[in-house]
This record gives sequence, structure tokens and C-alpha cells, in this order.
Amino acid sequence: MIQLTNVSKKFAGRIAVDDLSFRVARGEIFGLLGHNGAGKSTAIGMMLGQVWPTGGEVKICGHDVQSNRRAALMPVGAIFETPVFYDYLSGARNLEILSTYTAPTSKARIREVIEWVGLTGRAQSKVRTYSHGMRSRLALAQALLPKPELLILDEPSDGLDPEGIHEMRQTILRLQRELGLTILLSSHLLNEVEQLCTRIAVLQQGKKVFEGNVADVKSARGKVTLKTSDFANAAKVLSARGLITATEKEKYITLSEGRSIAEVTQALVAAGIAVDGIWQHEQTVEDFYLNLIKAAAKS
Amino acid sequence: MFFAQLKNELWKLFGKKRTYIGFGAFVVAQTAMLLMFKYTRWQGQFERLLAGNGYLASEYISALTVAVVMLVPQILLLMPLYVTLTGGDLVAKEAEDGTLRMILSRPISRVRLLLVKWVAGTIFSAVLVLALGAIALGFARLLFPWKNMFVFGELPHQIFGLFPPGEGLELYVFAHLFMTVNAIAMLSVAGMFSCFNMKPAAATILALSFLFLSMVMEHIPFFETYQNWFITYHFAAWVLVFQTPVPWPQIFQSEILLLATSATAFVIGALAFQVRDIKS
Repeated sequence: MIQLTNVSKKFAGRIAVDDLSFRVARGEIFGLLGHNGAGKSTAIGMMLGQVWPTGGEVKICGHDVQSNRRAALMPVGAIFETPVFYDYLSGARNLEILSTYTAPTSKARIREVIEWVGLTGRAQSKVRTYSHGMRSRLALAQALLPKPELLILDEPSDGLDPEGIHEMRQTILRLQRELGLTILLSSHLLNEVEQLCTRIAVLQQGKKVFEGNVADVKSARGKVTLKTSDFANAAKVLSARGLITATEKEKYITLSEGRSIAEVTQALVAAGIAVDGIWQHEQTVEDFYLNLIKAAAKS
Repeated sequence: MFFAQLKNELWKLFGKKRTYIGFGAFVVAQTAMLLMFKYTRWQGQFERLLAGNGYLASEYISALTVAVVMLVPQILLLMPLYVTLTGGDLVAKEAEDGTLRMILSRPISRVRLLLVKWVAGTIFSAVLVLALGAIALGFARLLFPWKNMFVFGELPHQIFGLFPPGEGLELYVFAHLFMTVNAIAMLSVAGMFSCFNMKPAAATILALSFLFLSMVMEHIPFFETYQNWFITYHFAAWVLVFQTPVPWPQIFQSEILLLATSATAFVIGALAFQVRDIKS
């Protein structure tokens, strides 16, 4: 659905995006993570034809965004952080205006979208009277108007209260479930990304430092929490038998390829080391992200 | 689709209150000038001028005469201000507010978007100028009779012009059509600056500075032989309709140059808009 190939962008000598490549497959929710200024918004800008890449190629649904903008953006809806509209016009009028930039849209379709996002009854009110949450819903409505196949969400929960964030999260899941949309989500909220995304890419200073499945990130393959009164001795025994490759914080062990928790337990019991607890470590995306950023900064 | 986009662009333009500030300012200024003409020595000076040249003042102090008197200062001061304000907003205001980013996430091309905005701005300019003329004449008619027209002081090769009411009205309409072309040229210059990465106020100020500089240079004796090169020189074409005989070739030459300037400004603006990055 989205394909970035060796995409770069320089602003006045400063590299904002550096040789970025990734693919987003149809039907997945893909998360784009990174600190402020990591290049997420620039990358999204290039996907939407708002920022011209210095190098590389951006394709959406197989169409090059630069050379075939119309075909590439036809099936796309987008929401940006802090939704802005023509405040002096009604919500419905805003939708009517924005729809004409894509294709002729019937009044029935506009009504349908207003109903879908739950703005019925307020559609004729001026946008300046809307709360932040209502503006977010209107932003969603404008993105859904052209019946998109792909939704690009740039910090959609920015500025929302906890209830609003929860509502937005449920809406994104509903969009994928009911409308089968492919979603690219850029967010600072790691918890949100963990709950929504199937795959993520992490950017740091314009470079991609990770791309992979959220499930893999969470399972932290091979990492095991070991609770024992004599961790140093246990680590020594397990290393000597080639069962582990690393230890961390006197708490975690990393299993060697093909080894299991059962083998580790057996080895420790045989060596007379009491095992108080042993289980597969599950890290949060936040832990993973922070470790990754630290490691990337060191290197 | 173009007309649907144009209709919506006009909704955006005429839907906001600041659009009407210009109209409001014109009405206030015109009322003030009308009352000044009626109740100060201004009218008396006109009557003496007419009598001194052997004309009956009562035949020429009319709605048409007063409407032209009311127009001149507004054409020189208020119109450039409000038209360049609108031109400066064309792209820069949407970029500043963030709505441009939302529009450009859709499959419309930038040139098409700019064209729609420019046409809407052109319509606004025409409405502003024509409303200005209609209001001036309407207000003047409230206090003055419908009689012959007397135009004084603005004509390049004669002191004044005298016209029967029918011909006067015809020339008054022509003058406004040509003033519309002036307004379009001013809007286009401001719109061009608006396409660059700058604030709307900066685009307006740059456009006004450009017009001011052109006007100053046009009047420097050294540049007298180069007057044709200054856009403001051609803005005076509307006054020429009151000259006898009307120098139509000169007027049309100026109008073509103004339209060509507008088209050039549009092309430069479109190029700048096309290559720039739109970021939050």
C-alpha cells in the first residue's frame, strides 16, 4: 500500500530524513515512532506530496506520489495533529469544501460520514463552537469522505484528554475492523502504538533504527526473567553449559538459539541452585523504544 | 469540478468577516466624503469653477459628478489596501492556519488550487470595485440630482470634462471596468508574494511596497521616458475614459499590460508554490 524506497530529505543542509525505506501492507496498522524532529512528519509530508524528497521514491498503491499525485492520493485520507478548519463555517460546509478537492461527493455521503463519526446534530454549527474532541471527529470525517483505502494519521491523539484518546483509539480499531482500512499512525504515545499497531518503524534523527512486528518486540525473543537468590552463580552455570548468551541487571538471561526455559530450569536444579521463578520476559513497546533509542544514541 | 471548487473558494472568502471590513470602510469613507462635499466649502469651490468657465453649476453638480469626486481618494488609498490584503491571504493565510496542509493531502494539484484561488480573488476584486462604484453613485443620488457629469482635475491632457447624464453613466461604468483590471493586477502581485514561504501580512506589505515604489519611480523626472515600464502608470487608464476624445488605443494598451502583469505574477506565484515544501 505504501512503499518508501531510499527516501531522503534535506532542509537547508540539515538532513531530516536519511535513506528511509519501508513498506506498509494492505490491511495493517503501521506505527511510525520517533522523538520530536526524528523525521516522522517529514516522511508523512513526502507520502502526501507536500514535501519534495531530495532523493528516493514514494509510492502509494503502486503510484509515484511525485509524478502521479492524483492517482496516488485518490484512495488516501489524512489527519494531522491539532485539526484545523474554517472556524467561521459550519462542520458540514467544511466537509463540503474539502470533498471537492478529491472528487464530487454527494450530500448523502457527507451525511453518512457525519453520522459515522457521531457529529449528527452539530454538523450545522460553526466549527468555532466545537470542542477539541469534536474537531478530531470532524477531522476523521473529512478523511473518510473520499472512501479511502489508506488512512494516514499524524499524531491523531495530540491534545486530546484521556477520554478523547481512548475514543480515538477505539475509532481507529473500528476503522480497520469495519472498513478494512490500512492505517499508518505516527504517534508519541507508545502505549497507543502498542495497543493498535501490528508493525512499527522507529526513526531517530531521520534514520530508521528499527522495523518489525509489535508481537516480536513484546515477546523480546529469548529474553527470560530469572528469580533466584544466587543469580551470579546461576549465570555462570548456564553460560558454562552454553544455555545462555547474556545476562542483564541480575534479573534477565538471554537464551542461546534453540534452548528452552525447561532446559535452563533443569540445569539450575541439577546444580543445586534454587529457582524462585522463571518466565518468558514480555517487554512493553516503551521499554523497547527507550532501549533502542539509548543504544542508537551510544552508537 | 472546477466550478464546485470555485464556489467553495468563494464561500471561504465571503464567509469570513474580515472580507467585509473593506466594504465597510468604503461605505464609511464614502458617507464622510459625501457629507463633506454637501456641507463644507468644497461644493462652493466646484460651483465657482463651473461658473468661471461659463457653465451653470446647478446643471453639473449632480450624482455622477459627486460620485467621481468620492471615488478618487478611495481608489488611491483604500482599494489597494483591501485588495492586497485579500491577495496576501490567498495562500499564505491557509498555510499559516494549517488548512493548506489538509487541502494538499488531497489529489488536487497545486497549480489547480492556485488557479481556483486566483479566480475567486479576481471575482472578489471585481465585486469590491463594482460595489464601490454602485454605492458611491447610490449615496450621491440620495443627496444630489440626476444631471450632467463634470469631471475635474484628473485628466492628463485637459482641465475638465463635461458629459450629458447618459454618456456620463456609460463612461462611469467603463471607468469601473478598467479599475477592476487595476484591482486584479494588485491582487495578483500580492497573491504572488503569498505563494512564497511568508506570513500573509508580509505578502500584503511587500505588494504595497512594490506598488508604492513603482508610483514613486514613475514620478521621478529621470524615469519620465520609462513611465510605460511602471505598473502604476497604467493604473491611471480608467481616468482616460473621461478625456475627449477617449484615447481607446492607449487605454487598451494599458489594460493589456496590466492583464499581462497579472498573468506573469500568477505564473511566478505558481512556480514558487509548486516547488515549496508545505510543513506544519
